[in-house]
This record gives sequence, C-alpha cells and structure tokens, in this order.
Amino acid sequence: MSAYLPDLIETMVKIAIVLGMNIGFFAPMLAWVERKQSAVMQDRIGANRADIFGFTVIGLFHSLADAIKLIFKEDFIPRGADKLLHTIAPLIAMIPALVTFAVIPFGGHYVLWGHDVNLVIADLDVGILFVLAISSIATYGVVLAGWASNNNWSLLGGLRAAAQMFSYEVTMGLTIIGLVMYYQSLSLVEIVAKQENFFHWGIIWHWPAFILFLACAVAENKRVPFDIPEAESELVAGYFTEYSGMKFVIFWTAEFIEVVTISALCVVMFFGGHQIPFISVQDIVNYLMDFGPNVANLVAAVIGFTVFIVKVVVLIFIQMTIRWTLPRFRYDQIMKLGWKMILPLSLVWILIVGVLILAGIMPTP
Amino acid sequence: METLLFYLFATLSVAFGLMMIMARQAIYSAVCLIGVMFCLAGLFALLSAHLIAALQILVYAGAVMVLFVFVIMLLNLREKAGLRSVGDMATQLFFVVVLGVLFVPLIASYDAPSATKLAEGFGSTAGVGTLLYTDYILPFEIVSVLLLAALVGAVALAKTRMR
Amino acid sequence: MATTVKKVNRSVDLTLWEKMYIPEILRGMSITLKHFAVNLLGNALEVFGGRRERKIQTLYYPEELPNVPIAYRGRPVLVADENGLEKCVACGLCEVACPANCISIIGAERGDGERYPVSYILDGSRCIFCGLCEEACPKEAIVMSGEWQDICEYDRAKMIYTKEDLLRSEKSLKKRIKVLREKYFNKGRY
Repeated sequence: MSAYLPDLIETMVKIAIVLGMNIGFFAPMLAWVERKQSAVMQDRIGANRADIFGFTVIGLFHSLADAIKLIFKEDFIPRGADKLLHTIAPLIAMIPALVTFAVIPFGGHYVLWGHDVNLVIADLDVGILFVLAISSIATYGVVLAGWASNNNWSLLGGLRAAAQMFSYEVTMGLTIIGLVMYYQSLSLVEIVAKQENFFHWGIIWHWPAFILFLACAVAENKRVPFDIPEAESELVAGYFTEYSGMKFVIFWTAEFIEVVTISALCVVMFFGGHQIPFISVQDIVNYLMDFGPNVANLVAAVIGFTVFIVKVVVLIFIQMTIRWTLPRFRYDQIMKLGWKMILPLSLVWILIVGVLILAGIMPTP
Repeated sequence: METLLFYLFATLSVAFGLMMIMARQAIYSAVCLIGVMFCLAGLFALLSAHLIAALQILVYAGAVMVLFVFVIMLLNLREKAGLRSVGDMATQLFFVVVLGVLFVPLIASYDAPSATKLAEGFGSTAGVGTLLYTDYILPFEIVSVLLLAALVGAVALAKTRMR
Repeated sequence: MATTVKKVNRSVDLTLWEKMYIPEILRGMSITLKHFAVNLLGNALEVFGGRRERKIQTLYYPEELPNVPIAYRGRPVLVADENGLEKCVACGLCEVACPANCISIIGAERGDGERYPVSYILDGSRCIFCGLCEEACPKEAIVMSGEWQDICEYDRAKMIYTKEDLLRSEKSLKKRIKVLREKYFNKGRY
C-alpha cells in the first residue's frame, strides 16, 4: 500500500484544489460578479450595504450574508411533493458539474521530488466523451426537480429543460468533432499538450466551432438568453419555484460551477489550457534551473495554473457579458436555433475540416 | 480491488433492476433504470472498455432515458391507487419462474474463457474505431441505414399527423 | 421637466446582416461593454476626486430622497393663510366630490361671520389620491401636496388626519397652487 501513498496524496491534493477553487472561490465570487458587473453595466451601483465593522469591500460581503441567510432559512418541501426526489434533485444537478472537472487539465506535466505530477485528476482516454456524458446527467437534476415539486410551473420548467438540454447535448457533441479530428485525440490532456505551439491553438483554425460550442454550452447551462426553463416572467422560477434554503443554494452553485466548467473546457480545447503563447513549460523550467529542479518545476506549475485561471476568468467575463446583454429567446426560437441552425452548421464544419485535413491545408499537430 | 468493484457494480445493478420493476411510480422506475445504466458503464470500464463505458452513459443514461423521463412528465403519471392485484403478482411470478428455467441450460453450458492478454489499445477510441471501420464495416453500415429508415419513418408519421 | 421623444424604427424585416445574428450579438456586447468600461473608469475617477462621465441612476433611498414632480399627487393637505388659519370655508364641496368618502367636515361660524371647519377629518386609509377635492375646492384651500413619505402606518387609527395634522403654510404650496391655476382656471375649462 505504501507504493500507492504518494499517488494517493497527489490525487487528494488535486481534488482539494479543484473543489476549493470551485466551491470556495468561484461560486461566491461569481454571485458577486454577477450582481456587480450587471450594475456597472447598467449605470447602477449594485449591492453595497452588507458590512462588517463598516467595511463593505465593494459589496463582497453580500455573498457571505446570502450564504448565512440561506443556511438558516427553512427547508420547505411542499405538500404533495415527492420528498425523496425533491431532496436529491439539487445534488444530481450539482455533482456532474464538479465531476466534469476530473478530466480537465489545469496545468501541464511536472517532475516534483522525483515524482511525476500531471495537473489533472484523471487522464482519461475518452476525456471529451466523459465530459459530454457527465454533463448530460445534469439534465436529470433539473427535470426531477420540476417533477418532484408537484407544481405546474415547475413541471413546465422541467419539461422545457428536458427538451432544451437534450437538443443542445446532441449539437454540443457535434460541434467539437472537428476539433477532435484536428488533434486526433479525445483526451483533454493530449489536446492541451498539442497546443504548445501557439499556431496550433484551437481558436486559430476552429473559431467557428468555438462560437457554436459556446452557444450550445450556454444553452446547456440554461442561462440567459437560453433560460426558458426558469423564465421568471412566465414560469415564476421554473423548475426551482418550490426550492428554498440550502437546496436553492445548491442549484445556484451548480449553475455557477457550470459557468466555470464551460470556461475551463473552452480554455482547454480552444485557448491552449495552461500554455503561454511562444513560451513552453520547458522554457520556464530551464530558465529557473539555477534554483534547483524542484523549485523550477513548482514555479512552472504555479505559473501554468495561474495562466489557466486567468484565461478561465476572461471567458467567464465574456459569458457574463452575454448574460447581461441578450434578451431571452422564445421556446420555438431556441428549438429552431438548435436543430435548424447550429446542428447543420456543425455538420458542415465537420465536412470542411475533413476536406481541409485531407487536402493538407490544415496540418494536424 | 477490481473484484471488489465488480461485485459492488454487479450487486447495485441487480438491486436497481429489481427496484425498477417493483417501483410504484413510473418516474422511480426511470431513475432506477438510469442507475442500472451507470452500473453497466462501471462494469464496462472494469473490462477496460472505456469508450463503451462513456458511450453507455452518454447514449443510454444521458439521451434515451431523458426521453423516457420527458414522456413520463408529459403524461404526468402519478402513483396508481390501490394495491397490486393477486392476478398481477401471479403473472409476474410465472414469468420469473419460466425465465429462470430458461436460463438454467444457458448458465450450465457457459464455458468461461481462459484469461488472455488484451491486444494493445483494446477498448481505446482508436482501437474500437479501427475495428468498426474494418472488420465490422458491414453491420455498422446496415445499422446506420436502419437508423436512417427509422428517422425517415418518424418524420413521415409526424408530417401526416400535422396535415 | 422637459422630455424628448425618440422615434424608434421598429421594422420587423431583418436584413441579411442582422439575420446572421452573431454581428448583432457582438454589437450589443460592445454597447454593454462600453457602459461597463465608462462606469468602471468613472468609479475609479471618483475615488481620486474626479468627475464621472455617465451619471449613476441609483438613489440611496433612505438617505437620499427623490424629487417628485410638481404634478405629483401626494397626501392632500389644507392651506393656511398668513395668520395660520385655514382657508377652508367648510362649504363641503370636497366632501361631496370625494369618491372614496374620506372627508368629513363639521362647519361653524367665527365671530366675524366667517365660516370655518370646526373639525376637518380626512381618512388617509380611504383616500385614493385622485385629486378631485382640490379640483372641487373654490377657495384653493385643499391641495395635493408632494408628501409621499410616512403615508403608510402600521395602525389604521394613525391614518385618520385631523385639521391640525393637515395644515401647511401657503408659501410651501405656492408652486402647486400655480400649477392648479394653470390647469383648471387659465385654460377656461371650468
């Protein structure tokens, strides 16, 4: 068993990093960013009243205040609701968002104290398929929440969510086939490794796939402009009309973590993951070799992780801007966009990529 | 470790299967079926067929079952009142016994294959893809034509309904 | 408060450029991002004592109060003359005009023969702020003021205003009375 110990510790540390990053940092920060960014965009001030000893930290304590309020709120289950499903539905929504991070590399490969460290929890051969498979499970959280609430608004929200997420799942898978053909791998770690050269970044050749993928991913996450499952002007709050307290928080956290997941996926597939343009990991390690190989590798790992986070934050900002810019689509418009526009476009893109690769115009890395 | 996981997944899948049949509400049956799919995916992963495992979740648990749940919600099936009738129970028992008897010769004739070393790249995406497009190209194409026929049929049905 | 009307061309026929959708999304995002950048710069400037370019529309409510327009119909109040006595002559026209029946007056005569309300009770919990009382009043003695604060109470008994609660000096209501004259008398409608 002692041979497994370093691996075990390594995996535990990586899981701790991912969970801490998502639940501890991104979820409360995004709640704050969503409020404050929208306020600044709309010539308002935004939340700024919650304070500790007079310090408001530009409204940051509102996340804390919200958390405290929601933890102590009554956990209400309506009469006639299905208690079991009503309780596990938020968890089914939340867990896939976190599990997806298992295959997303947030750094490269480093050698620390003679131990190979790959900054990814699980390097799966079928990484992209795993992401798609797990994210399709998140649908059940929403659908079961809608069904279990015994409320017509919730049921309608759940139905819409099922139809919408099912439609966009298919399309989301097809949008990245071209990318898979280009990198000739389904493993996200390998895809990142192949983007070491800046001109092999996904965005250079595959920007149409990026636009289509981002649209599908936002639709999969049910955020504005694709938020018909919760459409507050039509369905009160859609599938989580009957949720309060901690379960409501879990739904919100799941949504924010999915924002992070989408950004991380885009970074890994289109923006080179942890790579800095024109500077390879080896360059950084070689430059710092004077401080010893361990320090050099550690610094390189920290730099890689920071670069990854910076890219993720930029993409989150873009998603938030989209969320506060566009109005909501109508139901038929969403279906039309998914099936009649994005799906054919992604198929055409697969054809184009195939032809370009065969013709030798788009050399695979 | 792998044996332990195998027994875990096997027991869970049988348990979920039983719960699926016994559940009083259609939605619980659907949820249990998703559980079965997950356990099967786990078993596939244990057999180092990672691609099949991922596809199992993606296609069956993710796509097919969503449609099941969608239909259950659309019809809004709630709990049926009253207890199960004796006749129902008798029918179920009858089929369990008959199927069990049918399985006996199958299990008796089963000859466990001796362990062989797996070929390089077995179960990987490239491996499955190569097999699919060389040795099994004909069944693959037949299945795709079948699916196309089903698709065309569905569109034709929906179109006549609209008129 | 002069307002300008901007005519928006609401043609539903989209051009090909608009149908492509993505350029239009980018245009929308550039607008919101411009607001974001300008306001962020404004916030930074304000910290260093500068002036922001775009005005923030938010009002810090309990500390800052909105200026209601002069045509706003707040709590109806009684107008007092220079001596602090009410202008009301207890004719009862407002009592009749009130659709909610919230006014009740008991009139009497002063020593010099002038009529005045001994008691003038206005039930604020029934008032619908329609302004018919000020329209009916021949003496400009009751007008709708701009008072909108403290109109709500937890106790209905507190919402029954007496004459003493409602008396306001004529000076504080000058603007409203001017508006009334323009509205009802100068235009010759009544």
